[in-house]
Amino acid sequence: MKLLYSFLKDMKLASKSFYFYMELGIALIFVVVLLFIVPENPDPKMDVYAYIDLQGPYKTMTEEALSRENTDLIMLNSREEVKAELKGNRGSVGLVITQADDRIVYEYILQGYEGEKFRNILKTSTEAGFVSEAANYRSVTNVITLEEDTEKLSLRLNILPVFLAYNAAFMGLFIIAAYIFLDKEEGTIKAFAVTPARVWHYLLGKVGVILVSGLMSGLVATIFLAGLKANYLHLILLLIATNAFGSTVGLFIASFFNTMVKAMGWLYVIIIILSFSAVSYYLPAFSPLIIRILPSYPMLFAFRETLYDVGNTGYIYTNVLGFSAASVILFLLANYRFKKTLTV
Amino acid sequence: MIKVEGLYHSYTKNEKYAVQDLNFEIAKGEVLGFLGPSGAGKSTTQGVMTGLLQLQKGNVTVAGFDVRKISRTMFNKIGVSFEQSNVYGKLSGLENLEFYRKLFDVPTEDPKAMLELVGLDHVADQKAAEYSKGMKHRLTFVRSMLNKPELWFLDEPTTGLDPAIASQIKDIIKKKKEEGTTVFLTTHNMYVADALCDRVAFIIDGVIKLIDSPRNLKLQYGERLVEVEYREGDCLKKEKLSFLDRKDRSHLTEIVNAGNIEMMHTKEATLEEIFIKVTGRGLK
Repeated sequence: MKLLYSFLKDMKLASKSFYFYMELGIALIFVVVLLFIVPENPDPKMDVYAYIDLQGPYKTMTEEALSRENTDLIMLNSREEVKAELKGNRGSVGLVITQADDRIVYEYILQGYEGEKFRNILKTSTEAGFVSEAANYRSVTNVITLEEDTEKLSLRLNILPVFLAYNAAFMGLFIIAAYIFLDKEEGTIKAFAVTPARVWHYLLGKVGVILVSGLMSGLVATIFLAGLKANYLHLILLLIATNAFGSTVGLFIASFFNTMVKAMGWLYVIIIILSFSAVSYYLPAFSPLIIRILPSYPMLFAFRETLYDVGNTGYIYTNVLGFSAASVILFLLANYRFKKTLTV
Repeated sequence: MIKVEGLYHSYTKNEKYAVQDLNFEIAKGEVLGFLGPSGAGKSTTQGVMTGLLQLQKGNVTVAGFDVRKISRTMFNKIGVSFEQSNVYGKLSGLENLEFYRKLFDVPTEDPKAMLELVGLDHVADQKAAEYSKGMKHRLTFVRSMLNKPELWFLDEPTTGLDPAIASQIKDIIKKKKEEGTTVFLTTHNMYVADALCDRVAFIIDGVIKLIDSPRNLKLQYGERLVEVEYREGDCLKKEKLSFLDRKDRSHLTEIVNAGNIEMMHTKEATLEEIFIKVTGRGLK
């Protein structure tokens, strides 16, 4: 019962504090941004500003060939016009095609940020375009994929796991520490410490508050963005386990410090390190061991699994169990430390 | 109720002790005052006895419990009032008391009655953050009474309160004392100590210099004089007469018999004067 009273008191206090609404507010901002700014599936076409200085059939053939490409071709009247338009549209390329001594000269005008790989693709695809027009051309390229039926998530849903991991799961890391240091500052921890209630009642009450706000923000974002597509049972289990993990990491770190200012540096470093796994999440080709061992790495993929029509249940439950077990261990360690340091 | 033997405590965990070699006992129903200036070690001693500070060296028994391995049930028997008010500012006074009473495993006082006792009933539903400093202090004080403690730790219970409220608080402590509550009271206010304590301990720089009853201390360190102002004809006379001198005693009898006394005071020392005499330092 003491745990329940402690939790209810903390919920009442949290409902009157900024931190509680901050997480929910961020969730709503995230939803608005994704729904109204980020396209569900971005158009892969690239604007091409072209100036074609060719005569007769060459001009018609070239224009037809270009229109078959996956690009928005905008025809202009001079090289200068192409350059001017490029300045106003950073996601575009310029193309100038001229004729010199019976040769067609392709000239690409780039923005400057494009890498060598992109330049090579342009060059190779232009050359391949000409080769494929030859009468005896026969394609020898054959692409096969290991997982034929892999479900592709929309861009919005692909971003959602990152939000779930860093807002719903790891935001608690900061907030639980803030709650504890606020209590220390107010001195109410000392008053609590001279009652028969135990330190773990106090700590678990706080974990409960973080869990409620984490579940709320996670579910709000998922309901708006994924609707009925998500597996909510799996999502809730995963949110509980990962949120508890985030909170207990925060508790453990906070147990070594007596002010938020002193703890802030470590909390910040931990969040930054955990955020590295987002790079591998978006660029699967870059996933070195040092990133794969970060807890946020499997967390991101487990959240993604809950959004598939048929998610990898085994992977989700492995994560639920793993994060739950880690939370229990971290909570016991934090409880042990706080018994000595809570009132100091 | 309390037994302290060879208590040392260092915040820096070295030889720089906040309190050192403290030895004292408090009997059941007794009120012991720890009298000393700020930083003398009063709150540190209370901190160790209430488990807020870890016992580093020495032996401390509180209400039959060894504080080295504190049992949570000990806190059903003790009440702790802090020098710095520490209430939840976002909760009302009543909500603060309602929450804390639920943490005890023993019958508790009615929070509303407690608020009424210290004159906070009219702001019971107001957020504690909106209370004045004195009101917060009273809320902290009355919270320590919720579990009807057998042993009551009071850290500067009247500090920062206006005289009327301070007097009210003193009356509550006196009443609890009459009911048999044991009290450990830390203060730098000699009047509070004099009015409430069966014994006082003078502590300075973490060392107890002396423990005795206020009466014994006054007898031991005070001057046995009486100062008298009386009228003789049209003349107002003022004299200091010793109880120890036979001539002075018979002169005092004459003055009393003449019946023209306007003012008369015994000149026993105050606790503050004795403190200064014993420690060479003031209480501020």
